[in-house]
Amino acid sequence: MDNAIEIKGLRKAYKSFTLDGVTFDVPRGYITGLIGPNGAGKTTVIKLIMNLIRRNAGEVKVFGLDNLRHEPEIKARIGFVYDVPRFPEDLRLEQIASALAPFYPKWDRGRFLALLDDFKLSPRTVFKKLSHGMKMQFSLALALAHDADLILMDEPTAGLDPVFRFELLEKLRALIQDERKTVLFSSHITSDLERVADFITFIHRGRIMFSAGKDDILESWGVVRVSGGGLRPEDVPGLRGYRRSEYSLEALTSDIAAARSRFGGSAACDKASLEDIMFFISRGDTHA
Amino acid sequence: MLKLLRMEYLLNRRQILIMLAIFSGYFLFMAYRIDSPRVFLVTLCLMMGLAVPFGFVGREDKFKTAALVCSLPVRRTTIVLAKYAVSGIAMGLGLAYGLLLATALPFTKISVAEILTVKSVLISLFLVSLLSSFIIPFTIRFGLAGIIIFLVSGQLLGVVALILAQLLGRGPNPLRSAITAVEKGLRTLLYHEATPGFLALLAAAIIAVNGLSFLVSRALYARRDL
Repeated sequence: MDNAIEIKGLRKAYKSFTLDGVTFDVPRGYITGLIGPNGAGKTTVIKLIMNLIRRNAGEVKVFGLDNLRHEPEIKARIGFVYDVPRFPEDLRLEQIASALAPFYPKWDRGRFLALLDDFKLSPRTVFKKLSHGMKMQFSLALALAHDADLILMDEPTAGLDPVFRFELLEKLRALIQDERKTVLFSSHITSDLERVADFITFIHRGRIMFSAGKDDILESWGVVRVSGGGLRPEDVPGLRGYRRSEYSLEALTSDIAAARSRFGGSAACDKASLEDIMFFISRGDTHA
Repeated sequence: MLKLLRMEYLLNRRQILIMLAIFSGYFLFMAYRIDSPRVFLVTLCLMMGLAVPFGFVGREDKFKTAALVCSLPVRRTTIVLAKYAVSGIAMGLGLAYGLLLATALPFTKISVAEILTVKSVLISLFLVSLLSSFIIPFTIRFGLAGIIIFLVSGQLLGVVALILAQLLGRGPNPLRSAITAVEKGLRTLLYHEATPGFLALLAAAIIAVNGLSFLVSRALYARRDL
């Protein structure tokens, strides 16, 4: 498969947190969700792709090019949406766009204005008068106005109400109809990713836990629930995490078929949602 | 580079107008009150060298837009170069505007012949460079809060120095020696004969100070995690 982003052995050490050995690919033409609890390292990964922070080790290739050596060429093809949009507060939206437009060879003013119109934003509005959701929409309009091949979004739906989130996700879904476009967005809101993502990369405590197709994950991962204390977590095939109480065991498995065949009717085996997966891996008693 | 300059102008347009209004008032007052061209020149350079880079670089820190600028398709070296260029252009225009006001106004006490010389211009550029070359890297490293703390600390240090100078009396002491050295340096600079060698030295010093400052700023900006 052709990849828009290839990350190998990425490392970034802070005093209280280390992102280590991060390796995953983002396939071209799809939406990939970078999922993980707060503080897992999602923003760090996105900032490293954008070279906003310095890496300690590893390699990031975007469109097959090293992101440090070919920084300007790569960034001209990326639409970047920050978790908290930062623009000069006292400027009008059209002024901000006018300042940024010359940097992008494929900037399309008509498309930018159409996107603002779609989002019901006036180009004459001063940035500081926008709500958080509107700032996010403006940021997305800027990212989409230069026909970027890759849209990178850091927690774009955090803090947005359901209507804003729905609109934003629909925009992403529409964008991906053009098979040249790729989207990587980080989120801890699992329902957003279940709705639009094609691939999921799960990060926890600075390490990649898994990276696979969403449908494959939802098809093969499951939660095994057993009452009574007779079953040990290690007996669950493909164990990835579990939660034990005095009277029951709940275990997350990455091989629900094997679990079903092993336990038959003696245990409830249900498909896992992304929320289940995030919970068991990040908050369960242990994970494999 | 030109795109960055244009962007800096568009993003700072309002700031420039505010500065222009404040400086106009201040220059008019100075031109009316000060009759020494050297005092006028040094004060003008102090204003420009402190306020202009502080205004431009500090504004980025105020709105936390460094991440926005660094996400654009340009290298960080070019961004830093643009900051120097935009500060240099603004300071140059500011100096020219200040000198023009001081010489053209009907009520001015400063003579045109004394202030509009190659030596005056080079001294102005040297003094402005000396200040801005410190302020720009300092603001990049410590941000707006850092520069405010630095300026307030400078003021407090001045007060402490004055008190100490009073306490230590008129006899020779390290503090008095340091102040005298600065004063002598400034006096030499202002009163030195405008020989070709002196002017060439000034020009070389301007380039060296700015070049060194740029290298420090570039290193600081490249290491900055946003």
